[in-house]
Amino acid sequence: MIKLRNVSKIYHPNVQSLADVSLDINQGEFVSIVGTSGAGKTTLAKLLIAEERPSRGSIEIGGWDITRIRQREVPFLRRQIGTVFQDFKLLPKKTVYENVAFALEVAGEPNRRIRDIVPQVLKIVGLDEKLRRYPKQLSGGEQQRVVIARSLVHRPKVILADEPTGNLDTMNTRDIIDLLLKINAFGTTVVLVTHNRDVVNELRKRVITLSDGRVTSDHIKGKYLIV
Amino acid sequence: MKAISQSRRIFRTAFQNIFRNVWLCIATVMVLSLALASVNLLVGLNVLMRNAAKTVEDKVDVTVFFKKDANSALVTQAKFFIEGLPQVKQADLLSSDEALKVFRARHANDPGILAALDELDDNPLGATLRIKARKTADYPFIMETLKNPQFADSIESKTYDDHADTIANVQRVASNTQNFGSILIAVFALIGILIVYNTVRVAIYTQREEIGIMRLVGASSFFVRAPFVIQGVLLAIISLLITGVMVWYGAKWADQSLLNLYNGADPGLRSFFSSNAALLILIEGGSLALLVGATSWLAAGKYLKK
Repeated sequence: MIKLRNVSKIYHPNVQSLADVSLDINQGEFVSIVGTSGAGKTTLAKLLIAEERPSRGSIEIGGWDITRIRQREVPFLRRQIGTVFQDFKLLPKKTVYENVAFALEVAGEPNRRIRDIVPQVLKIVGLDEKLRRYPKQLSGGEQQRVVIARSLVHRPKVILADEPTGNLDTMNTRDIIDLLLKINAFGTTVVLVTHNRDVVNELRKRVITLSDGRVTSDHIKGKYLIV
Repeated sequence: MKAISQSRRIFRTAFQNIFRNVWLCIATVMVLSLALASVNLLVGLNVLMRNAAKTVEDKVDVTVFFKKDANSALVTQAKFFIEGLPQVKQADLLSSDEALKVFRARHANDPGILAALDELDDNPLGATLRIKARKTADYPFIMETLKNPQFADSIESKTYDDHADTIANVQRVASNTQNFGSILIAVFALIGILIVYNTVRVAIYTQREEIGIMRLVGASSFFVRAPFVIQGVLLAIISLLITGVMVWYGAKWADQSLLNLYNGADPGLRSFFSSNAALLILIEGGSLALLVGATSWLAAGKYLKK
């Protein structure tokens, strides 16, 4: 599903964020990418959604080589990868319904389809009662669920979650991880970038550890090994 | 079908942006309106100065006083001769009796002069020829023509010498007003463009995060930019309407206030703006919409990179 071959990312003037990273993530996997601050986790996430381009190496997602993806192709890539971020990134002036619907509108989906899908995904994340609310009227956990709903509307092959529980308390963290597991159970590949030791250890899923921009360990049923 | 539905969504997003960022939009409209109003203020001032010069020009004429004993046939011949000149707009001849009547009417409140007139047995005034030129620059030529020996001996005096300086001043003011006014309007238009450019940039800067989010969920550059462009053009249209109302009532007020200064003549602001409304709307509205639209497109593009 995701193939990285000898990927390096060097920021100007000479800051190496990723060094010769090669890895494969298969369809339907749930992979946690862990590491300390500055290990290169977020750079890796940015490369996967083409927010950055690699300095060297190649990246393939679902058979599509996005290494030198053109700017006008980026929206099509992003419709195939659902993204969830620590800071939610919701449109503050749109309601819950509108935020989720917006992801479909930009793709030119017909209104009837939008009216069908949006309530469905909001039901999956448990927010079907709050669709007329604005993001600031929701708790952190609820906002993150809106983000997950938004990422689901395109039925993406991959969900990329970069520190999705970073701003949440333990209860909400549990809810969000359960939701991601539920999505994964339907066959969607989930890439979870996190430094939450408890979450990683409880998951008992594949763990890739990054350190100084390099992959230092990759275990099928891994644990959070950083001290 | 897809294009129609996308267009509808773009317009809806633009309208939503306006209503949900209403204070920002009000501030933007105010700045746009003030920029437009300042340009129109200068256009109006230019018109007022031009019309003031024209009013003074209209008041300028040359009066030729014939001698009391001047042959009436010669006076009439002088009138026809002057009237035939292409530089002359109008020539009115008053007989000595009519001239006396006008003189009495003009000095009706001056009993001293009227008493002095009554003391005289005869009408002391000769025929009077009032000449109005098409342009003030034509007066010197007309005056030269009146030196024709055929008429010169019958002329008692001419008033042009009294007006010569006024005429020269009016010509200078009219020409300077035209040049200086045009430069000032150009400078104000340039300042207006810079203000509008920065206002739109600031307005979009405040929405940079939203632009990033739109990109994140897969919006194309066009889908992100188009609502901002439409929003900008809509705000430009609202500003144009507000400025139109301001200019109309401002011109009405100014016309009434300046009536005395123009000796009862129409200062001409309202008539200028109404007769040139289509052209002004086309130039000012078109430029503003183009400027705001292009700035919105470029400013939104700056935040599309990610």
